[in-house]
Amino acid sequence: MIRFVFADLRRLWAASLVIVLLVALATALGVAVTLQERALRLGSARAADKFDLIVGAPGSETQLVLSSVFLQPAALPLMPGDVLTKLVADPRVAWAAPIGFGDNFSGYPIVGTTTALISGTTTGFVAGGMFAHEGEAVVGSGVDLAIGAEVKPMHGAAGEGGETHADSIYHVVGKLHPTGTAWDRAILVPIQAVWHIHGLGEDHDHEEDGHDEHAAADHEGETGEAHHHHGHIDADARLDEDFDHEVPGLPTVLVKPKTIADAYKLRQEYRTDGTTRAVFPAEVLTGLYATLGDARAVLMYVAYGAQALIAAALMLIAVIHVAQRRKQIGALRAFGAPRLAVFGIVWLELLLLVAIGVGLGFGLGYGAAEFLAGLFTAQSGVRLPVEFTAADAGLATAFLAVAALMAALPAALAYRQSPVEALRG
Amino acid sequence: MLSLTLSGVSISFAGLAQPVLSIDDLTVPAGGRLAVTGASGSGKSTFVNLVSGLERPGRGTIRWRDTDITTLSESRRDRWRAANVGLVMQDFHLFPGLTAADNVLLPARLARAATAEVKARALALLARVGLSRPGQSVETMSRGEMQRVAVARALLRRPGVIIADEPTASLDAEAGAEVGRLLIELADQEGATLIVVSHDERLTERLDRRIRLAAGRVVADTAAEVSP
Repeated sequence: MIRFVFADLRRLWAASLVIVLLVALATALGVAVTLQERALRLGSARAADKFDLIVGAPGSETQLVLSSVFLQPAALPLMPGDVLTKLVADPRVAWAAPIGFGDNFSGYPIVGTTTALISGTTTGFVAGGMFAHEGEAVVGSGVDLAIGAEVKPMHGAAGEGGETHADSIYHVVGKLHPTGTAWDRAILVPIQAVWHIHGLGEDHDHEEDGHDEHAAADHEGETGEAHHHHGHIDADARLDEDFDHEVPGLPTVLVKPKTIADAYKLRQEYRTDGTTRAVFPAEVLTGLYATLGDARAVLMYVAYGAQALIAAALMLIAVIHVAQRRKQIGALRAFGAPRLAVFGIVWLELLLLVAIGVGLGFGLGYGAAEFLAGLFTAQSGVRLPVEFTAADAGLATAFLAVAALMAALPAALAYRQSPVEALRG
Repeated sequence: MLSLTLSGVSISFAGLAQPVLSIDDLTVPAGGRLAVTGASGSGKSTFVNLVSGLERPGRGTIRWRDTDITTLSESRRDRWRAANVGLVMQDFHLFPGLTAADNVLLPARLARAATAEVKARALALLARVGLSRPGQSVETMSRGEMQRVAVARALLRRPGVIIADEPTASLDAEAGAEVGRLLIELADQEGATLIVVSHDERLTERLDRRIRLAAGRVVADTAAEVSP
């Protein structure tokens, strides 16, 4: 029977191909939506994995997470610098590190932070090592800069008419292992350098810009976009990561609490305080996933609709096909093929085509999701893990079960057909 | 080898006043050679359908040796036909995409009756009908060759009766003569009863007995002329 089925499909290869492709496309649509949504969820959750607690100025919690975890450029309000001072000194905190944005270089965001954050959120260096001086930078794995390369920071986004800080240059001293997060595309520099460039904070040795600590303090509370008071970095200055006095205003601080209980206590404390807002990125993302899930549901209904249409079209094709071949089917019966064999042939042919289509569709859907994830990663640095789960096997089985049921209709038509009438016609 | 006895057989179709075929009494002995002739619409095809068990008469019995096939269910008749009847039809009904050997074996395979012995017999039969390439695809064959594949298929399961419906009508004279000769020779060789529906006189003349149908009735019978 199998041999006959294969010979038949080979003979009708063009029609078979069309059916397989139709099924494959319908399947791929659903599979791609499922995989892509899952990849987005997993990828963003993994990107936020190391970000236990984020403290920022009151404002949009979502924006706070998007800016710190995904380094999405936005003008965040600043909170007083002594928040960091307090957090660093807090016994419930393992480490706390400022995250300062605003500058970029060749499309890569420049993020001012500390060695504690880099050590705490990455797995070490592919080449080189940690910055030790103000003029040094560490780059993520996705940044196309070699050790020793020069980084000239530009204020604001390149496409928005930003200005360069002409006299300030960082040198790349280390490249990090990939983390699969947006930070892979970031250039990490000492936070003090960012402050100095924007004329904030203490200037240990150089006072020629004419601003002092009071001037810096005046900037507290201003937004990142408002700095017009430029300084430059002192490339050879040693790192100062004490943050115990006169810290300039900050957009966000990443906090690593010692225990989960500490995390909740800290969030509570910095949430009720009128000048700060503390969020668990994981919690904010859960809210976003709910929205994402709704979008997925809509897309899945669209996919189901397409699948139902294609299933209906296939039924039509199958019934017409059986009608066209009634003579052949009648002859099979006349020459002694049992009715069940006739049923089996029609059923098996259809099921085989659908099975190949479903298999191909899963491949196609996976490919499409992988392709989209690749585009997303190239743009944002966040790696999206496109992967199948046991639930997808259930989906494939469901597809095949429905196909098996639907193929039974034309097969039953063939089964019931009288050989005499078929041969006469 | 099967004998055939029809008695009181009549079949009518809805909307037709006259029965399409009505045969009161017809007997073909085991190993007999019967030719059925008649104009189109005379009931020849209905005769083939009835005696091969494809169709059931409105009344009457059709007895092949001890089996009255009118009492069998459709599935039982299918099985009986597969085991006892070798059919050869005007349109060959070979399946494109399969080789000659696969075509010969197809019904047996679908009925799960293709043993090693049956497979060997398929090749032997193809050689016997003069086809030397069992692996040849049937759509590359001439019409005469195709009908010879159909003859080999009909004989595969050692049927007790070979029923041929216009076996030469779609062939040229030479190929038709060859197929006719093979049918008679193989029926002899296999000891099968042979029933041929045909208006090909060169074929029907070579059979023991000829009946002619008109309007569903036997209007001439060579057996009756010899022994009334």
